[in-house]
Amino acid sequence: MTVLVVLTVLVIVALIAGLAFYLYWAGTLLDRIGANLEGAADIVRGIVADAKLIGPGVEHINQTGGVVAGALPLLYGMAEQIVAGVTPAPPAPEVPEPARPASGTRRSRLLHAVGYAPAELSRIGLPAASRGQRAPGLLTSLTVR
Amino acid sequence: MNPTEHTLWVVAIIVGFVVVLAVAALLSLLIYLIKVIDKRVAAIGGTLTAAKANTASTVLIPQVADGVDAVLAEGLQHHLFLGRVVETVKSS
Repeated sequence: MTVLVVLTVLVIVALIAGLAFYLYWAGTLLDRIGANLEGAADIVRGIVADAKLIGPGVEHINQTGGVVAGALPLLYGMAEQIVAGVTPAPPAPEVPEPARPASGTRRSRLLHAVGYAPAELSRIGLPAASRGQRAPGLLTSLTVR
Repeated sequence: MNPTEHTLWVVAIIVGFVVVLAVAALLSLLIYLIKVIDKRVAAIGGTLTAAKANTASTVLIPQVADGVDAVLAEGLQHHLFLGRVVETVKSS
Protein backbone atom coordinates (compact mmCIF):
# COMPACT_ATOMS: atom_id res chain seq x y z
CA MET A 1 0.00 0.00 0.00
CA THR A 2 2.72 2.45 0.98
CA VAL A 3 4.77 1.48 -2.05
CA LEU A 4 1.84 2.12 -4.33
CA VAL A 5 1.23 5.52 -2.81
CA VAL A 6 4.87 6.45 -3.14
CA LEU A 7 4.95 5.29 -6.74
CA THR A 8 1.80 7.23 -7.49
CA VAL A 9 3.21 10.37 -5.98
CA LEU A 10 6.45 9.77 -7.87
CA VAL A 11 4.60 9.49 -11.19
CA ILE A 12 2.67 12.68 -10.56
CA VAL A 13 5.78 14.56 -9.48
CA ALA A 14 7.71 13.25 -12.50
CA LEU A 15 4.95 14.36 -14.83
CA ILE A 16 4.73 17.82 -13.31
CA ALA A 17 8.50 18.23 -13.13
CA GLY A 18 8.98 17.00 -16.69
CA LEU A 19 6.31 19.34 -17.99
CA ALA A 20 7.76 22.27 -16.05
CA PHE A 21 11.30 21.59 -17.22
CA TYR A 22 10.45 21.11 -20.89
CA LEU A 23 8.01 24.00 -21.01
CA TYR A 24 10.53 26.32 -19.41
CA TRP A 25 13.12 25.19 -21.95
CA ALA A 26 10.71 25.67 -24.83
CA GLY A 27 9.69 29.05 -23.47
CA THR A 28 13.31 30.19 -23.31
CA LEU A 29 13.93 29.11 -26.89
CA LEU A 30 10.74 30.72 -28.15
CA ASP A 31 11.61 33.94 -26.37
CA ARG A 32 14.97 34.01 -28.14
CA ILE A 33 13.29 33.26 -31.47
CA GLY A 34 10.88 36.13 -30.86
CA ALA A 35 13.74 38.50 -30.17
CA ASN A 36 15.49 37.37 -33.35
CA LEU A 37 12.32 37.82 -35.38
CA GLU A 38 11.82 41.28 -33.94
CA GLY A 39 15.35 42.22 -35.01
CA ALA A 40 14.68 40.74 -38.44
CA ALA A 41 11.51 42.81 -38.71
CA ASP A 42 13.51 45.96 -37.98
CA ILE A 43 16.03 44.99 -40.64
CA VAL A 44 13.24 44.36 -43.14
CA ARG A 45 11.79 47.80 -42.42
CA GLY A 46 15.21 49.31 -43.08
CA ILE A 47 15.51 47.41 -46.35
CA VAL A 48 12.08 48.62 -47.41
CA ALA A 49 13.06 52.20 -46.55
CA ASP A 50 16.23 51.82 -48.64
CA ALA A 51 14.36 50.21 -51.52
CA LYS A 52 11.84 53.04 -51.66
CA LEU A 53 14.63 55.32 -52.87
CA ILE A 54 15.49 53.14 -55.83
CA GLY A 55 12.44 53.58 -58.03
CA PRO A 56 12.04 57.38 -58.09
CA GLY A 57 15.80 57.91 -58.15
CA VAL A 58 16.39 55.63 -61.10
CA GLU A 59 13.42 57.10 -62.92
CA HIS A 60 14.80 60.60 -62.33
CA ILE A 61 18.24 59.59 -63.54
CA ASN A 62 16.79 57.93 -66.63
CA GLN A 63 14.72 60.96 -67.52
CA THR A 64 17.52 63.47 -67.02
CA GLY A 65 20.07 61.21 -68.70
CA GLY A 66 17.77 60.87 -71.70
CA VAL A 67 17.55 64.64 -72.03
CA VAL A 68 21.33 64.95 -71.77
CA ALA A 69 21.89 62.20 -74.33
CA GLY A 70 19.42 63.83 -76.71
CA ALA A 71 21.05 67.25 -76.35
CA LEU A 72 24.64 66.14 -76.93
CA PRO A 73 24.31 65.77 -80.77
CA LEU A 74 22.89 69.28 -80.90
CA LEU A 75 25.83 70.60 -78.91
CA TYR A 76 28.52 69.02 -81.00
CA GLY A 77 26.65 69.96 -84.17
CA MET A 78 26.84 73.58 -83.08
CA ALA A 79 30.50 73.13 -82.21
CA GLU A 80 31.15 71.79 -85.70
CA GLN A 81 29.40 74.81 -87.20
CA ILE A 82 31.62 77.10 -85.13
CA VAL A 83 34.77 75.27 -86.17
CA ALA A 84 33.74 75.35 -89.82
CA GLY A 85 32.93 79.05 -89.54
CA VAL A 86 36.16 80.22 -87.93
CA THR A 87 38.62 78.05 -89.87
CA PRO A 88 40.15 80.25 -92.57
CA ALA A 89 39.77 78.84 -96.07
CA PRO A 90 43.02 78.58 -98.00
CA PRO A 91 43.25 81.23 -100.70
CA ALA A 92 42.83 80.04 -104.23
CA PRO A 93 46.14 80.03 -106.11
CA GLU A 94 46.68 82.48 -108.93
CA VAL A 95 47.81 79.77 -111.26
CA PRO A 96 45.94 76.50 -110.83
CA GLU A 97 48.09 73.57 -109.95
CA PRO A 98 48.64 71.06 -112.71
CA ALA A 99 46.45 68.03 -112.60
CA ARG A 100 48.00 65.16 -110.78
CA PRO A 101 46.83 61.60 -110.89
CA ALA A 102 44.55 60.84 -108.05
CA SER A 103 45.80 58.30 -105.62
CA GLY A 104 42.34 57.25 -104.55
CA THR A 105 39.06 56.69 -106.27
CA ARG A 106 38.84 58.60 -109.52
CA ARG A 107 36.24 61.30 -109.78
CA SER A 108 33.89 61.18 -112.71
CA ARG A 109 34.45 63.97 -115.20
CA LEU A 110 31.34 63.36 -117.19
CA LEU A 111 29.49 66.18 -115.47
CA HIS A 112 32.37 68.55 -116.07
CA ALA A 113 32.33 67.65 -119.70
CA VAL A 114 28.83 68.97 -120.07
CA GLY A 115 29.53 72.04 -117.96
CA TYR A 116 27.64 70.99 -114.86
CA ALA A 117 29.06 70.74 -111.37
CA PRO A 118 27.14 70.21 -108.13
CA ALA A 119 27.25 72.82 -105.42
CA GLU A 120 29.99 71.12 -103.46
CA LEU A 121 32.43 71.59 -106.31
CA SER A 122 32.28 75.31 -105.73
CA ARG A 123 34.23 74.80 -102.52
CA ILE A 124 37.33 73.59 -104.27
CA GLY A 125 37.66 76.70 -106.39
CA LEU A 126 36.78 75.47 -109.86
CA PRO A 127 36.18 78.13 -112.52
CA ALA A 128 32.68 79.43 -112.97
CA ALA A 129 32.33 77.74 -116.32
CA SER A 130 32.71 74.35 -114.76
CA ARG A 131 30.41 75.17 -111.79
CA GLY A 132 27.23 74.61 -113.68
CA GLN A 133 27.05 77.87 -115.54
CA ARG A 134 26.87 77.21 -119.16
CA ALA A 135 29.24 79.89 -120.33
CA PRO A 136 29.50 80.61 -124.02
CA GLY A 137 33.20 79.98 -123.98
CA LEU A 138 32.96 76.65 -122.32
CA LEU A 139 34.42 74.62 -125.11
CA THR A 140 37.17 77.15 -125.56
CA SER A 141 38.13 77.08 -121.92
CA LEU A 142 38.12 73.33 -121.88
CA THR A 143 40.25 73.25 -124.97
CA VAL A 144 42.71 75.70 -123.50
CA ARG A 145 43.01 73.72 -120.31
CA MET B 1 -7.80 -3.32 -0.57
CA ASN B 2 -8.86 -6.25 -2.61
CA PRO B 3 -6.56 -7.79 -5.28
CA THR B 4 -8.51 -6.27 -8.15
CA GLU B 5 -8.06 -2.76 -6.81
CA HIS B 6 -4.39 -3.45 -6.20
CA THR B 7 -3.95 -4.70 -9.74
CA LEU B 8 -5.75 -1.69 -11.16
CA TRP B 9 -3.61 0.66 -9.11
CA VAL B 10 -0.44 -1.01 -10.33
CA VAL B 11 -1.68 -0.83 -13.88
CA ALA B 12 -2.51 2.84 -13.41
CA ILE B 13 0.97 3.52 -12.06
CA ILE B 14 2.54 1.73 -15.04
CA VAL B 15 0.33 3.66 -17.44
CA GLY B 16 1.34 6.85 -15.62
CA PHE B 17 5.04 6.13 -16.14
CA VAL B 18 4.39 5.37 -19.80
CA VAL B 19 2.54 8.64 -20.14
CA VAL B 20 5.41 10.49 -18.46
CA LEU B 21 7.85 8.91 -20.88
CA ALA B 22 5.62 9.70 -23.85
CA VAL B 23 5.24 13.31 -22.73
CA ALA B 24 9.00 13.57 -22.30
CA ALA B 25 9.55 12.16 -25.79
CA LEU B 26 7.02 14.51 -27.38
CA LEU B 27 8.41 17.52 -25.54
CA SER B 28 11.93 16.50 -26.62
CA LEU B 29 10.69 16.46 -30.21
CA LEU B 30 9.13 19.88 -29.64
CA ILE B 31 12.42 21.21 -28.27
CA TYR B 32 14.28 19.79 -31.28
CA LEU B 33 11.91 21.48 -33.71
CA ILE B 34 12.12 24.75 -31.82
CA LYS B 35 15.92 24.58 -32.02
CA VAL B 36 15.67 24.05 -35.78
CA ILE B 37 13.42 27.12 -36.01
CA ASP B 38 15.87 29.08 -33.88
CA LYS B 39 18.78 28.20 -36.18
CA ARG B 40 16.83 29.11 -39.30
CA VAL B 41 15.64 32.39 -37.83
CA ALA B 42 19.26 33.20 -36.99
CA ALA B 43 20.23 32.38 -40.60
CA ILE B 44 17.43 34.61 -41.89
CA GLY B 45 18.68 37.38 -39.64
CA GLY B 46 22.17 37.03 -41.09
CA THR B 47 20.82 37.11 -44.64
CA LEU B 48 18.72 40.18 -43.91
CA THR B 49 21.72 41.90 -42.34
CA ALA B 50 23.70 41.28 -45.52
CA ALA B 51 20.80 42.54 -47.64
CA LYS B 52 20.58 45.66 -45.48
CA ALA B 53 24.28 46.27 -46.06
CA ASN B 54 23.73 45.93 -49.80
CA THR B 55 20.78 48.30 -49.90
CA ALA B 56 22.42 50.86 -47.64
CA SER B 57 24.08 52.42 -50.70
CA THR B 58 20.76 53.31 -52.24
CA VAL B 59 20.89 56.64 -50.42
CA LEU B 60 23.44 57.58 -53.09
CA ILE B 61 20.83 57.32 -55.85
CA PRO B 62 19.19 60.70 -55.12
CA GLN B 63 22.67 62.24 -54.95
CA VAL B 64 23.45 60.74 -58.37
CA ALA B 65 20.17 62.12 -59.67
CA ASP B 66 21.14 65.56 -58.40
CA GLY B 67 24.51 65.18 -60.11
CA VAL B 68 22.84 64.29 -63.40
CA ASP B 69 20.62 67.34 -62.99
CA ALA B 70 23.75 69.44 -62.55
CA VAL B 71 25.17 67.93 -65.74
CA LEU B 72 21.98 68.83 -67.56
CA ALA B 73 22.09 72.40 -66.22
CA GLU B 74 25.71 72.73 -67.31
CA GLY B 75 24.79 71.32 -70.71
CA LEU B 76 22.08 73.95 -71.06
CA GLN B 77 24.67 76.63 -70.31
CA HIS B 78 26.88 75.13 -73.01
CA HIS B 79 23.92 75.15 -75.37
CA LEU B 80 23.28 78.83 -74.75
CA PHE B 81 26.96 79.69 -75.13
CA LEU B 82 27.38 77.72 -78.34
CA GLY B 83 24.19 79.23 -79.72
CA ARG B 84 25.54 82.74 -79.16
CA VAL B 85 28.90 81.84 -80.68
CA VAL B 86 27.30 80.21 -83.72
CA GLU B 87 25.23 83.31 -84.41
CA THR B 88 28.31 85.49 -84.00
CA VAL B 89 30.33 83.32 -86.37
CA LYS B 90 27.55 83.23 -88.95
CA SER B 91 27.03 86.98 -88.82
CA SER B 92 30.76 87.79 -89.13
